[in-house]
Amino acid sequence: MLLQIKDLFKWVNSGGNRIFLLNDIELTVNEGDFISIMGPSGSGKTTLLNVIGMLDDFNEGEYSFLHEPVHKLKEKHRANLYKEYIGFVFQSYHLIDELTVYENIETPLLYKNYKSSERKSLVADMLDRFNIVGKKDLFPTQLSGGQQQIVGIARALISNPKLILADEPTGNLNSKQGEEIMNLFKQLNDEGVTIIQVTHSEKNATYGSRIINLLDGRIINTV
Amino acid sequence: MIRNYFKIAWRNLKKNKVYSFINIFGLSVGMTACFLIFSYVNFELSYDNFHLKKDRIFRVVADIKTPTETINGKGPSWAVPPHITEFPEVAAAVRVLSDIILFKKDNLTFNETESLWADADFFTVFDYKLLKGNPLTVLKEPFSIVLSETSAKKYFGDNDPIGQTILITDDAFPSTVTGIMEDIPVNSQIQGDVVISMTTITKKFAEGVNDQWGNYGPFAYLLLKPDTNAKHLESKFPAFLEKWSGKEMNKSQMFPTLLLEPLKDVYLKSDRGGFVTGNIKNVYVFSIVAMLILLIACMNFINLTTARSSERAKEVGIRKVVGAAKSQLARQFIGESVLICLIAFLLTLVVTSLLLPSFNQLAGKTISQGIFEIPLYILLLFLAATGIGLLAGIYPALILSSFKPTTVLKGRFTTGAKGNFLRKGLVISQFTISIALIIGTIVVYSQMSYMNNRDLGFKKDQILVLDTNSDKNRDVLKQATSSLSNIKNASLSSSVPGTGNLIAYSEIENIKGDLQVANLDLYFVDFDYISLFNIQLAAGRPFSREFKTDTTQAMVLNEAAVKMFGYSSPEQAIGKRFKQWGHEGKIIGVIKDFHFQSLKKPIKPLSMRINPDRGDYLSINISTSNLASTMAAVENQWEKIIPNKPFSYYFLDEFFGRQYKSEEQFGKLFLNFALLAIFLSCLGLLGLASYTTIQRTKEIGIRKIMGASVSSILNLLSRDFLKLVAISFFVATPVSWFFMQEWLMDFAYRTTVSWWVFLAAGVMAMLIALITVGFQAIKVAISNPVDALRTE
Ligand SMILES: Nc1ncnc2c1ncn2[C@@H]1O[C@H](COP(=O)(O)OP(=O)(O)O)[C@@H](O)[C@H]1O
Ligand SMILES: [Mg+2]
Repeated sequence: MLLQIKDLFKWVNSGGNRIFLLNDIELTVNEGDFISIMGPSGSGKTTLLNVIGMLDDFNEGEYSFLHEPVHKLKEKHRANLYKEYIGFVFQSYHLIDELTVYENIETPLLYKNYKSSERKSLVADMLDRFNIVGKKDLFPTQLSGGQQQIVGIARALISNPKLILADEPTGNLNSKQGEEIMNLFKQLNDEGVTIIQVTHSEKNATYGSRIINLLDGRIINTV
Repeated sequence: MIRNYFKIAWRNLKKNKVYSFINIFGLSVGMTACFLIFSYVNFELSYDNFHLKKDRIFRVVADIKTPTETINGKGPSWAVPPHITEFPEVAAAVRVLSDIILFKKDNLTFNETESLWADADFFTVFDYKLLKGNPLTVLKEPFSIVLSETSAKKYFGDNDPIGQTILITDDAFPSTVTGIMEDIPVNSQIQGDVVISMTTITKKFAEGVNDQWGNYGPFAYLLLKPDTNAKHLESKFPAFLEKWSGKEMNKSQMFPTLLLEPLKDVYLKSDRGGFVTGNIKNVYVFSIVAMLILLIACMNFINLTTARSSERAKEVGIRKVVGAAKSQLARQFIGESVLICLIAFLLTLVVTSLLLPSFNQLAGKTISQGIFEIPLYILLLFLAATGIGLLAGIYPALILSSFKPTTVLKGRFTTGAKGNFLRKGLVISQFTISIALIIGTIVVYSQMSYMNNRDLGFKKDQILVLDTNSDKNRDVLKQATSSLSNIKNASLSSSVPGTGNLIAYSEIENIKGDLQVANLDLYFVDFDYISLFNIQLAAGRPFSREFKTDTTQAMVLNEAAVKMFGYSSPEQAIGKRFKQWGHEGKIIGVIKDFHFQSLKKPIKPLSMRINPDRGDYLSINISTSNLASTMAAVENQWEKIIPNKPFSYYFLDEFFGRQYKSEEQFGKLFLNFALLAIFLSCLGLLGLASYTTIQRTKEIGIRKIMGASVSSILNLLSRDFLKLVAISFFVATPVSWFFMQEWLMDFAYRTTVSWWVFLAAGVMAMLIALITVGFQAIKVAISNPVDALRTE
């Protein structure tokens, strides 16, 4: 078991009303799972992903990650946990425009105090693996969307995470580029990486082993 | 990691050229101003620090109580030093008197305007380095001369001057060069090119002067033995004075209280004059101004950085998501700010070296030859730059690093109201400072113009003054020049306005009919003086050749004097008795008050008498047509009649104005700093304006599509900024009013600060701000709205 969420609630107060962003979420994810989260816009997919990724907190419930009770951990400890085990991939890639491809991929390692020689070989491996060695000195704006997303994935993978959280990773891509990314995820999943993705595409959802449908912050069914 | 930060910082600098320029340029301007002012302040504070025994050296001065007032002066400085060594606490006493002395060597003749007479211990008490000669003996014998290196070169070239003879004074006394000293450093309050032994005066020229307790002349310095309590010593002085000069004091009705001024206070803090004097007020004012300018520059930096924070927000979010801790991000942004400051530091070094010569000129002396002269300063500047980088970087760094990644990555990010509030506050402070400095500048300049234009009560234009230095042929020169064509008349006198004057123990019959004792300022004049200077008569008559007695038994007073003796009208004083310096007689006339001293001082009671023996200055009323040929003719006469002295002259208006030199300099510096402050504030405003305009591009596009006019957009964009400037105006006005009122207190005659000064400063700041902001706003207002929306 990689993570387990029990009776999780997240809400905001607006004009005296309590608005539930996440409502009574129950979720267990095992290592090697490939989960797709689906649901209409505003149903809380991103919120759930952020909670799982520990970028956002919640108001009630339990969340344990690798048997650590996330809701009881101190900020710093929690940060160490996700730094170590989680990689993020975004719809709009979120690369740092001022850094080259090489440097973008390298960034996570900087915050984990890797030695320069280690960083070099790890980044070189990544560039190799995704066939972007030739682009390593380019800036994100010089790349196509698909290429940018590949860099985003490379960056997420560089620190060898157990879990990849991808929020509509193909949302900004054309279908051919999207397919490439999904194949990449499939391949990673086969290598043992756990993946949770948010998607609007039925087709992309079929790459996964499980589909969770969200509506108004509530899991309505799991396929 | 550092390299990564550095790369990001560098690329950011390159990407946002305008902001980088404003930041770096603004900071270096601020640091340059600060550095220059710091050098100036430090230089002012360094006066007399080179004397090794400075903590034990004191200047003896005195508060002199007279029947009419208390004078802050020098006291009986001829007699005190020779006698004061009777105190065991006093290790040595030195008199130093500045003079203008004629030097002659073979065919070289110079009027040495910076001559000093000094007692034998001069070179042992003070640390003016002797290159040749024994400090213990160089000034021992009469007619001994110590030359500065420069003047030695002037007279002897590369030859050895020691033992050589120079003829000094009008009477050409042969004197021997006994030593060569290094040129006296600029930061010494005693200044001189040549030093002549005081024994020349005390043993040859004026024997007995050592015991003249009523004679006030040189400055007197004491070297106290180690661990002497100066205050304690001071308390023994009244008895000492009573013992030596009790009789003298009673006779002259002048009662000095001797005081000890620490040498290190003499230059900046004493109000009793000196060879050169500084002003501690200026030092404070400029230190504060320097700080304010640097502050403005730092505020720009903070403002622009926080204003731009939303641009960096995405980067912050991403870095946090990939694992950056808050502290790591804070370090990155502080690092960037330090980097900018260090670039500004390098630029400052360059700009400062370029500006140094003109700054020296502005300050009126060589404050520093080059910035690398004192490596410590460079180190200090470096540390300051780093410090500014840290301080100015901390706030933006904290703001930036505390962004929540989930919000900024969603794009729901807005720069908070808190940041807005801070930015507004900073803009207000900047403009408050700028407006206050503008007001200050206007006040200083209007006081200057007030002083230059005020009717002084005498004719100061078209008067040429020749300093004959009491030459025995001066009467001949007067006759010769007044008969030249183009010259209306000429007059010999002991003083002209602005030169200073004698003060005489006098007894004048007052309203009650008693002889009232007073120390009156005294001008010795001739029969032409009052008419030449066009001094108006209030009562009686001026000196006249027709009255034989006028030469010895007549006195003219000014209105202030008449008032002091109790008369309610000038007429009442006519015919009253006077006694002054061995002469007695009647008051024949009263002149209207005229400003014989600077407008900083109130017009004092003044007496005038005829005395042909005391005519140093030859004033000549010339007409300005054919000035050059008239001047040549006058000079020609001088060469003929006083061939042994260099032609020395000035124009009275210029000379009188020279008394305001320090105010003029103050005004100039103030003006420069005010300009700098407003420039920096505008630079910041420009940055902010262009930033907010960019942020509102879309809004403006929509407004224009809906039909907004250019002027309404202009109004929209500049209104907020102008509001801030308006607030600044209301803060700056009372503050600067208070400080300038305080400054004006130094002037007995001062301009009134009227409301238009404030209004002018406010309008000026408003206009400048409007132009700055408007420039940006117009660019956007006239752009095609479709472009604006397309880029979104
Ligand atoms: N911090 C927040 N405060 C208020 N409302 C929020 C906040 N975060 C998300 N929401 C709201 O919660 C709902 C779910 O948002 P989100 O998880 O982004 O939906 P999805 O990703 O499924 O489109 C939206 O209506 C959004 O406006
Ligand atoms: Mg979403």
